[in-house]
Amino acid sequence: MAAIEARRLLPGTKRGVPLAWRNLVANKRRLLRSSAGIAFAALLMMVELGFEQGFFDASLSAVQALDGDLFVLSAYKYRFGTRDPIAHAELDTVRGVAGVASAAPLYASWQDFFWTSPLDSKPYLVRVFGFDPDEPPVFSLSGIKDGQALLKTGDTVLVDSHARAFLGMDTDKKSTDLSGQPVQIVGTFSLGPDFMSDGTVAMSDRLFAKLLPGNRAPVAELPIETIVVKLRPDATLSTVQRALRKALPNTSSVMTKAQIVDLEEQFQAKLSSAGPIFWLGAMVGFVVGMLISYQVIYTDLSDQLPQYATLKAIGYKTSYLVRSVLVQAGLSGLAGYVPAWLLCIGAYRIVGAIALLPLHMTLRLTILTLGLTLGMCLLAAALAVRRVISADPAEIF
Amino acid sequence: MPAVTLRAVPLLSWRILSHEKGRTALATAGVFIAILLVFIELGFFIAVPQGGMLVYDHLRFDLLLCSKNYAFQAEPWQFPRARLTDAAKVAGVARATPLYFAGTKWQEPAGGDRIDAFIIGFDPAARPFAVTGIEQQTVALARRDTMLVDDATRPIFGPIAAGTEVLLDNHKITIGGDYTLGTGFLGMAVAVMDEANFFRLFAPRPADIVNLGLITLASGADPDKTAAALRQALPDDVQIFTRAELKNHEDKYWTTRTSVGLIFGSGLVISFVVGIMVLYQTLATQITRHLPQFATLKAIGYSDFYLAAVVMIEAAMIVLVAFFPAAGAALAAYAQIRSATLLPVVLTAPEFAAVLVITLAMSAASAFLSLSNLRRADPADVF
Repeated sequence: MAAIEARRLLPGTKRGVPLAWRNLVANKRRLLRSSAGIAFAALLMMVELGFEQGFFDASLSAVQALDGDLFVLSAYKYRFGTRDPIAHAELDTVRGVAGVASAAPLYASWQDFFWTSPLDSKPYLVRVFGFDPDEPPVFSLSGIKDGQALLKTGDTVLVDSHARAFLGMDTDKKSTDLSGQPVQIVGTFSLGPDFMSDGTVAMSDRLFAKLLPGNRAPVAELPIETIVVKLRPDATLSTVQRALRKALPNTSSVMTKAQIVDLEEQFQAKLSSAGPIFWLGAMVGFVVGMLISYQVIYTDLSDQLPQYATLKAIGYKTSYLVRSVLVQAGLSGLAGYVPAWLLCIGAYRIVGAIALLPLHMTLRLTILTLGLTLGMCLLAAALAVRRVISADPAEIF
Repeated sequence: MPAVTLRAVPLLSWRILSHEKGRTALATAGVFIAILLVFIELGFFIAVPQGGMLVYDHLRFDLLLCSKNYAFQAEPWQFPRARLTDAAKVAGVARATPLYFAGTKWQEPAGGDRIDAFIIGFDPAARPFAVTGIEQQTVALARRDTMLVDDATRPIFGPIAAGTEVLLDNHKITIGGDYTLGTGFLGMAVAVMDEANFFRLFAPRPADIVNLGLITLASGADPDKTAAALRQALPDDVQIFTRAELKNHEDKYWTTRTSVGLIFGSGLVISFVVGIMVLYQTLATQITRHLPQFATLKAIGYSDFYLAAVVMIEAAMIVLVAFFPAAGAALAAYAQIRSATLLPVVLTAPEFAAVLVITLAMSAASAFLSLSNLRRADPADVF
C-alpha cells in the first residue's frame, strides 16, 4: 500500500491530495463560523494577558525611566513604589566609592502630596519625585531632562501629561496648589499612571523639602528614597556594586534596574490580586476555545466518517488520518489566530488610550497566545480524533 | 398544513433533541461553557466595586459624615472632630462616632521587609463594627499597644496568631487576635485598634482630626430628611452620604475613575460575543444536521414559521438545561476567585435572573441567525 501512502496534508508539495487543507476549505461558511469562534476565544486570552502585562509594565514605568547604572535604596523595601527612605549621609559614602562617576539623590512620595485639580478644585493624592536640578538627570524622560533647568528657581513643577484626566494636568493652567501651596507649572513629561498613583509631579529637592508634610529637615539632611548612581566608563558594574555594598550599612541595598524589576515581580506574584484575575480570564478563554474547536472537529469528523472509513478501507493508515485531523485543527487555529491578533492590536490601542495602560502586542504575548491557541485546537482535536481511530469501514456501510 | 397545532411544537423540539443524545449533550456542554464564561467575567466586573464597599458593608451607620474632598474609602481626607459634636445635636441623630485611618509600615521583629499596612482606630464602646471577631474581643482591644488583625491579611506579613509581636513604624505592637471581615481595597494588611492605642502609635497626630464619621439615627428618623438637616446645620467643609448615595459614589469611583470598569467591562463584552458565537455555532450545527428532516416537514406542508418556532424552542430548551449547572459551577468559581483574590464576589438572585434572561435573548438571537439555513431547506435539494 506504499504507493498511496501519501504524506501530503498541505498544498504546495508535489504529489497527492492535500487532505487537511481540502477538508478545511471544503465548507467556507463553516470555516468562517469556526474561525470566528476561535478568533474571539483567542482575543479574550490576548486581552486578559495583555492587561496583566500592562498592569505590571505600568507599575514599573517610573523604574524603567530612571537614568542610572546602580541604585541605592532601603534594604527593607518590598517594592519600589512605597516610601521608605535612607539617611542623607549615605550620599557622601556612595560618592566616595571608586568607579562612581555621579550619585544623584531622588526623593519620592506616594502618599503625602495632594494636587488641587484645576478641573474641580478638589485635592487628590499624587506621586511626587524630587531631585537636584543641578545634578545630572535622574530620569531619562525627555520632558524632565529638558525641563529640569526650569525647576531651579521659584516654586515650579513639571507635571505628567499622561496623568488621569480628572487631575487636569494636561490643561493650559499654569498654576495650581500642591499640598495647599501655590506652584507654577512650567512643563510636562509623559509617564502615565499605575495602579497606585493617578498622576505624577516632578520638582526640585528644595521645593520637595518645603512642601513635604511634617518635614523639618533642610535639603542637605533630607532622607533620600533612591540614590541614582552612574559609573565611570572604565568601571565594572559588579565590582562597584560589591564596593558600594561594603561601604554602606546593611540597612541599604544596592541594585541594578533588573534587580528592582525582580523585586517588583516578586511583590506582584506574592501580593497582587490582578495577576490571578487575568490568568483566570485567559484560562476561561482557553476552555471556551477548546470547546468551540472540539465542536467543529467533532461535527466535521462525524459528517466525514464514511469518507475516513473509505480511506482506511483503501489502505491509508490511521496515523495519516490522525495527522490530517491534527493539521486541520492547527490550520483552523491559525485561521482564527491571525484575525484575532490584528483585532487585538486595535483593541490595545483604544483601551490603552482610554485606560492609560501601556498595552502592547509584544513578542512574548504573541508567542504565548499563539501557543495557547494552537494548544487548545490540538487538544480538542486529540480528544475528538478517537472517532477516526475507531472508524470501522465494515460498520459504516 | 396538517392537523398539528402549535401545541405540538415543544414536543417536536424535544424529539429532535432526544433523538441524538450524544450531540445534544455536546451542544448543551457548549452552551454551559458559554454561560459559565459570562458568569465568570461578570463576577470579575462586580468584584471590584464590591471590594470597595466591603468594609462599609460591615460598619453600623445610617449616614456617613466625611470631608468635602472625600475621594473613596482609602482616601477619605479629614475633618475637625467638632463637626461630629455638632452633628450629634441635630434632631434625629442618635450618635456620631469617629473612625481614624492611618498607613503604617509593618515589620516582623526579626527584621525583613517593611510592608505597608492599614490601621483603623475606633472607640470600641460605640460598636461601629458589625463583625463578630471584633465585638467578642473587646478585652484584647482594651490592652495597651494591642490590635486585632483581619485574617485576610496576606501571609507575607508573617503569623498573626494572638500574642505575636510586630513592629508598626518601629513601635512594638501585640496582636490580640484576629477577625474575619476582608481587607477590600484598604491594603494588604488591615488591623483595628482602640483609639487610645491608635493615637499613642501615631503621635503626634492631633486627636481632633477625624477621617470618617459614622452617624446612627434615632429609631423612626428618616435618613434623607436627617441628611438634609445635617447639610443645613454643618459647614460646607464636610458632606453627608446616605448608605445608598455612598454605594453609588463608591461604585462610580471604582468603575469610572480607576478604569477598572473599562478593563473588566471589555472582558465582559468579549465574553458575550464568544457566548453568542458558541450558541450560534451549536444551534447552526443542529439545524444543518437536521436539514433533511426540516425539508421533509416543509414538503408535507409545515410553514417556515412553524419550523422557526421548533428551532427557537429547541434553543430555549438547551439554554434552560445548561443554565442551572452553569450557575452552580459559577458559584464554585466565585468561591475560587474569592480565595485567590480575597475580593468578595457575590451575585444576587436578580443578577442571576438577569444572566438567564440575557442568555435566553442571546440564544434567541443566534437561533434567529441560524434560521437562514432553515429557509434554504428546499425539499427538492435535500433528496
